[in-house]
Amino acid sequence: MTPAPEPALAATVPDATGPALPAPGHAAPGGERELLPVATGARSRAVVVELLRPRRRPALVGFGVLVAATAAGMLTAPLLGRVVDAATRGSTGEITACAVALALVAVVQGAATGLGLTRIAGLGETVLADLRERFVERALHLPLEQVERAGSGDLTSRVTGDVAVVARAVRNALPELARSLLTVALTLVGLAVLDWRFLLAALLAVPVQLHTARWYARRAVPLYARQRVATGAQQQQLLDTVGGAATVRALRLADQHTERVARRSAAAVELALAGIRLVLRFYSRLHVAEYLGLVAVVASGFWLVRQDAVSIGTATAAALYVHGLFGPVNTALGLVDDAQAATAGLARLVGVADLAPPGRSPRSAAPADASVVVRGLGHAYRPGHPVLRDVTLSLAPGERVALVGASGAGKSTLARLVAGVHRPERGSVLLGGASPADLGPEVLRGTVALITQEVHVFAGRLAEDLRLARPDATDAELTEALRRVGALPWALALPEGLATVVGAGGHRLTVAQAQQLALARLLLADPPIVVLDEATAEAGSAGARTLEDAASVALEGRTALVVAHRLTQARTADRIVVLDRGRVVETGTHLELVAARGHYAALWEAWSAQR
Amino acid sequence: MRTRGRDGPGVLGRAIRGQWRLVAAGSVLAAGHQAGEALVPVLVGVIIDRAVGPGDGGELLRWCLVLAGVHTALSLCFRYGIRFGERSAELAGHAVRMELTARVLHPRGGAGTGRLPGELTNVATSDAQRVGRVTMAVSAALAALTGLVVSAVALLRVSLPLGLLVLVGVPVLLGLTHLLGRPLQRRSAAEQERAAHASGVAADLVAGLRVLKGVGAEPAAVARYRHTSRGALTATVRAARAEAWHDGAVLAMTGLVIALVALAGGRLAARGQISVGELVAAVGLAQFLLGPLQVLAWANAELAQGRASAARVASVLTAPWGVGSGGLAPAGPVPGRVRFRAVHHDALHGVDFEAAPGELLGVVATDQAATGDLLRCLTRDTDPRAGTVELDGVPLTSLDPAWLHGAVLVAAHDADLFEGTVRENIAGTADPGRGLDAVLAASGADEVCRSLPDGAATHLTERGRSLSGGQRQRVALARALAADPPVLVLHDPTTAVDPVTEARVAHGLRAFRAGRTTILLTGSPTLLAVTDRVVLLDRGTVTDQAPHAELVTRRHDYRTAVLA
Repeated sequence: MTPAPEPALAATVPDATGPALPAPGHAAPGGERELLPVATGARSRAVVVELLRPRRRPALVGFGVLVAATAAGMLTAPLLGRVVDAATRGSTGEITACAVALALVAVVQGAATGLGLTRIAGLGETVLADLRERFVERALHLPLEQVERAGSGDLTSRVTGDVAVVARAVRNALPELARSLLTVALTLVGLAVLDWRFLLAALLAVPVQLHTARWYARRAVPLYARQRVATGAQQQQLLDTVGGAATVRALRLADQHTERVARRSAAAVELALAGIRLVLRFYSRLHVAEYLGLVAVVASGFWLVRQDAVSIGTATAAALYVHGLFGPVNTALGLVDDAQAATAGLARLVGVADLAPPGRSPRSAAPADASVVVRGLGHAYRPGHPVLRDVTLSLAPGERVALVGASGAGKSTLARLVAGVHRPERGSVLLGGASPADLGPEVLRGTVALITQEVHVFAGRLAEDLRLARPDATDAELTEALRRVGALPWALALPEGLATVVGAGGHRLTVAQAQQLALARLLLADPPIVVLDEATAEAGSAGARTLEDAASVALEGRTALVVAHRLTQARTADRIVVLDRGRVVETGTHLELVAARGHYAALWEAWSAQR
Repeated sequence: MRTRGRDGPGVLGRAIRGQWRLVAAGSVLAAGHQAGEALVPVLVGVIIDRAVGPGDGGELLRWCLVLAGVHTALSLCFRYGIRFGERSAELAGHAVRMELTARVLHPRGGAGTGRLPGELTNVATSDAQRVGRVTMAVSAALAALTGLVVSAVALLRVSLPLGLLVLVGVPVLLGLTHLLGRPLQRRSAAEQERAAHASGVAADLVAGLRVLKGVGAEPAAVARYRHTSRGALTATVRAARAEAWHDGAVLAMTGLVIALVALAGGRLAARGQISVGELVAAVGLAQFLLGPLQVLAWANAELAQGRASAARVASVLTAPWGVGSGGLAPAGPVPGRVRFRAVHHDALHGVDFEAAPGELLGVVATDQAATGDLLRCLTRDTDPRAGTVELDGVPLTSLDPAWLHGAVLVAAHDADLFEGTVRENIAGTADPGRGLDAVLAASGADEVCRSLPDGAATHLTERGRSLSGGQRQRVALARALAADPPVLVLHDPTTAVDPVTEARVAHGLRAFRAGRTTILLTGSPTLLAVTDRVVLLDRGTVTDQAPHAELVTRRHDYRTAVLA
């Protein structure tokens, strides 16, 4: 019975209270989903060029060295041709000279390839790092509203899938492609130098190759897309079934789940095999091209030797050239779909990385105090379905107000509007006399904090997780924050104390522990205004009580708006606001509201069983 | 419980034997491909000797046709050999996956003990796949050996000394390159891992985006990511350099081998001991030999990984059962009398209580560990160290676990929802006797459905993560009610539900379960208020049992436990 916070998979949303709040995972009806921007091909290229510009010189040097390496390699075939000619003449001295030259070529080619590839790969990696850093910076500064409109899956898939695809392309495909293309180009030059008719003969294979590449790309792209979906579905099913095995067993769903796993796994196998069949047909066609090219060159060698236009050695060199040509051609053509996937991924990365950098807001008001004033607030996620209507509310500096109401009453929406996550449609929110928009993102961050029931433990050392809230915090400050929220005993009991790696891939914390960390982060961030949205809800009932105590400590001295699930939380608040269907229906202290015998009093009776 | 064929090598052996037809066919065809590839340079040599040298057009045509034949054959062998090989790999992986799933879901449990859920999923995905790949590695290795033998025979027929030079020289040089490259590659693997770590950090930050924004930690997060990313960059650049120099070294070694063969072969040809065509063939074969040797190195690495994966698969398959088998599956209706008799287990120290048939019993434990142990005993994830838990007078240990799960449903606090619609989640377990609407109303899930875009037909993503905690809890509760078991055990079913709805659920629950045994482990006074009786557990023993209202007035510790 371990609580299961899944930091790696946490695609949770804060309470989707509003009936129309589009939660990620199911598309909002009416096409309201608005994906994050995707760059055009031209824009992607422009950004890559822009990233490359400051490194033009190393780029040119690296490329030049690689060209030199490939060119050196081109000498092998003619040298072997000369060995053949020398052997025909019986001249052993020339054979030795050629062999020495071959050895020299080998060493030069090896060294230059090592050097050139080092340069090119280093360059690719640096550009990739620049791009991913810019992407993450912009992504983390996106307004939450925009991320939610797109569905959080959009951003997650870009940061995991697309970054990986582009990185793989830069790491593996790019150097290989560069070498293959260079080899092909220089081999063709080499053939022309031997005799221009050899070049013509070798080019006979090109139409077949081009046709094959087009034929393949047309089929491969949709097939691989389906394959990725099927593999994803299979992974997901295993995650569901194996991860939820306890539930499956308890509900006796084993047969149903086994059947689902079998179906999804079989579908993934089927598509994987379809992909293999396609690749194999692709190579079969390329084999035909290979044969055509080889025979054409051998036949023209035969003819040219008979005409005494070239020696047997030259014909041999041509045959060796063409034989060595197909490996790189097949490699380059095989990279077609990698290149396509990488281009699509790049466009999605650049789309976000190209957004305006987070700058200082032009208007930067400062909050006068820690008061919160909400006037005539109205909000709807979908036109015609208001979630809040005409809500007016004010919190004095240091006051603690509890929000109580049924699901769908608009509590979370009010919380998010106060925290500045959403802009209200009607009415206004003032923090210390200024609207969140006037404060600008930077000041707003220091003014109000929002903690929801969504828990996330950041992967890394526990101390680093806490320092996200205050990067310059000393160890003593971290310990003090943990102590105040009651987390110090278990934190010190971790295998390496505060240096223990927690979160995805590390030590797993319980939901209650994760939420205590969130409160410790709040203490470190130390904002004057705090909004707690059911921050204690997901822990079991015993855990909830510990958390409430911790929350109480963390809220001391701050203006706080607390969405309460357990009425004990409401009772200790300075004031209680009851929301019903988007309106404030009752306001007052616990005693006042109990005496008023309204909504709240009924709830309290049910809770305290004092009938 | 170690069964033959279920240890690591056994798992590998079964994977290969299970697909032996495909593995055999794949090996034969791939061997044909390798042999064909080895023949191509030999044929080019023949063409030079018999057609190009003497200028004989008839010979040229004949040998080009032979070359076409060999080419077609090797192309077809390649195509179908790989196809069979890949098929065997995929099917073997599928079989392992299904076997693992069956073991993990077995009613006697135990496979997940001591493992994180993510770890088990990894075994079922990547380890199963790796075990499958071994079948492919086996046929590739057999084919590479064939290619080696064919080219050895061809070379030795050309000239014994030249053949020996190539056959000894190529593996020695390749081995040398590997030896030089190994430390580089080992380091590069570690550095690639660090690069993967950077992308993991980015994904982790994005996953926690709302939490970050909640405390205004975006700039700190960006700075942290930049730091990680720069570290990863240094590592990957180092790794790329190692790889680049390794590539360069292989290239240089290959060139040196060819220079050596050209030197020796050229001299032999100059003395007339071999023909010019044979010289060309020898050079071509020396180049070709690198291919199969590299395939062997790859297959060896693949086998090593496969062995490690197979060991992990085996450790899941042979995990000890969580509980004994029992065997009884009583026929007829289950009245539903649940009794704990002097139960001792970790946090339980002699627990005694009973839930009468049809009773709605509340259980309040002052410490979470005791609650967990009670649940584990009831669901038979474990059997108590001492004492017994009985259902209608029969100890749970003598009951068949599958039957027990049908009679006693334990709905965990953190029960998982599954991918599918809300209705499928709830009704997947449904007893057709009770209507879905009644279930939805009793659990408060009706409100959840109303707030979703497509109501009960709304599709949930993996584990219902697209719902809020409160919504998830209500759907899970509806699912437990829909199963309508004779005994239902609910653990904290409403912690994330607002007090208004909780009050409604409390009454709905009582009405819905009327006449059937229900045990509620909770600290919520709203739920406890509708129970018939409450058992209070303190420090692992039952300290009191009475109706909720009575305990509230009578016991101070109870008040602190549920009302404070």
